[in-house]
Order: sequence, then C-alpha cells, then structure tokens
Amino acid sequence: MGWLQSLEGNSFSIWLKESPSIWGYATILFIHTVGLSFAVGPSVAIDLRLLGVGRRLPMGPFDAFFKVIWIGFWVNAASGTVLFVTDATSKLANPLFFVKMTFVFLAVGVMIVIRRRVFRDPDLDGQPVAAFSKWLAVASIVCWFGAITAGRFMSYVGGG
Amino acid sequence: MDDIWWFLPLCESLHFIGMAMLVGVVGVLDLRILGMAKRLPLEPLQRLMPWAVLGFVINLGTGFVFIAANPRQYIGPPLSLSFAAKMLFIVFAGLNVILFYMSGLKRMVDRVEAGHDAPLGAKVSAAVSLFLWVGVMYWGRMLQFFGKSF
Repeated sequence: MGWLQSLEGNSFSIWLKESPSIWGYATILFIHTVGLSFAVGPSVAIDLRLLGVGRRLPMGPFDAFFKVIWIGFWVNAASGTVLFVTDATSKLANPLFFVKMTFVFLAVGVMIVIRRRVFRDPDLDGQPVAAFSKWLAVASIVCWFGAITAGRFMSYVGGG
Repeated sequence: MDDIWWFLPLCESLHFIGMAMLVGVVGVLDLRILGMAKRLPLEPLQRLMPWAVLGFVINLGTGFVFIAANPRQYIGPPLSLSFAAKMLFIVFAGLNVILFYMSGLKRMVDRVEAGHDAPLGAKVSAAVSLFLWVGVMYWGRMLQFFGKSF
C-alpha cells in the first residue's frame, strides 16, 4: 500500500488535513455538499415527476436539468477525489466507502438510462409514464439516498 | 448509548437527504424562474414544493436531535457563530418566501405559462433564495471549523 501512503503524504494532502485554515478541508467539504445537493436534488425532482407529482407538467423541458445534475456530479467527483487523497488508506479499509461508490455509480447509471430511454422518446409527453420508467425513478431515489447514508455512516463506522 | 450508536449517523443521513430534497426542489423552481427550462409552466411546477417542505420538516426534526444531543456545541456558551449564522440565513430564507407571497409575486408567477419569462422581481427573489440556501449549507458545514465550540 506504499502508493496510498505517498498519496496521503504529499504536501498538499498534509496541508489540507492539518491546516487550520477554513479555506482548506472545510471548503472542500462545503463544495462536496453543494455538489451533492445539485446532483441529487434535481434528480429527485425528475424522479418525483416520473412518479406522478405535478402531472400537468410536461416532462420534456426537465431535460435541461440534466446539465445541473452533471455539473453537481463532476464537482463531487473532483472534490471527492481530493477528500479521498487526504485519507486514502483508511477510506480503502472502510467497506462503507465501497458501498457508497457502488450506490453513486448505480445512481449515475440509472440517470443515464432515464435520459436515454425516457427523455429521448419523441412521444414523451403524448403517453402516460411507463411502469419501467417509474421503477427507474424508484431505483434512482434508492441509490442516491443509499449513497448519502453510506457516506454519513463512513465517518462513524470502519475507521474511515 | 453504545446500543444506539447508529442513531446520530442515521439522523445525519436524513438531514442530508432532507437537504437534497429541499435545495433540489427549490433550486429547480428558482432556476426555472431565472430562465432555465422555460418550457415548464410555473403554476404546476410548484406542485413539487410540498416535497421541499417535507425536506425542511425532516431537517427541522433531525436538527433538534443534534442540538438535544450536544447543546453546548450549538448554543454554548459560547454560542457557535456558524450556528447563529445558519439560523439567521434560514430566517432570511423564510422572510424571502413571505415577501414572495405578500408582494403579489406569487400570483404573477402562477400566471407564467410555458415559454414565458418570469417578472424581474421574481428573478431577484429566486436568486436571493439560491444564495441563502447555499449559505445555509455553508454555515452548516462550517459548524465544526469556524467559530467552533465543537
């Protein structure tokens, strides 16, 4: 595990972890929280619409919010990488880290399928929401909330 | 207490889920008012709002749990500055909603059909809302770091 220690041992990681400056670790955590809200929040709004909330709303225009979701996701991929690097050995020793990553990748996969299968349908607003689409919405909510829960429990369980 | 070690992390998880619901739904509405996804009519879009309110209620409940579990970390003495700032931002966000209703902006927004622009006053209100909720997240995250009693 030598390379992990060298990840943690570089001067940036050490500064981030040990500096009392609120522009370091605290700011990265804040950015990670905002990214979470803008990735998960609009996803849940789309899921709720698929599940029947606001039936008089056309589905099509919600497509624009995928941009917001991807920005939130990439902001968190970047800030998450920084948080990982400061603490690589204990994160990789924590099974919950892998549970969280699995949920994140499943959630992103489900959002991609929703975009491709549901939103690219030219008759999207001409028919009721298919049962398959509703299951995708349920899967999306379960995976995002699972990722959040695993992430919060990581700081309590398994030493991560 | 060892038997219920999972209770606080569970409340934290719910607090983050409530946050995503609140900021997500309010953010979608604010962004539409600001001009994104203009083909969404604004009256039915507000049907999502009860889910934001549910997120807020979840966070009010779990927030009280955090304070009850460690009152000194928040209300002190000394009072945590981040906590005070967070509460202040939540109050401002509430006042922004009250102003939105009382000023008649809500009625104007309800009439914004698909493809139409929201009035400037509503755009200002939406921008203030986004700023305040991101601010609430900022002060929440700073609890452990700034003006801390943790």
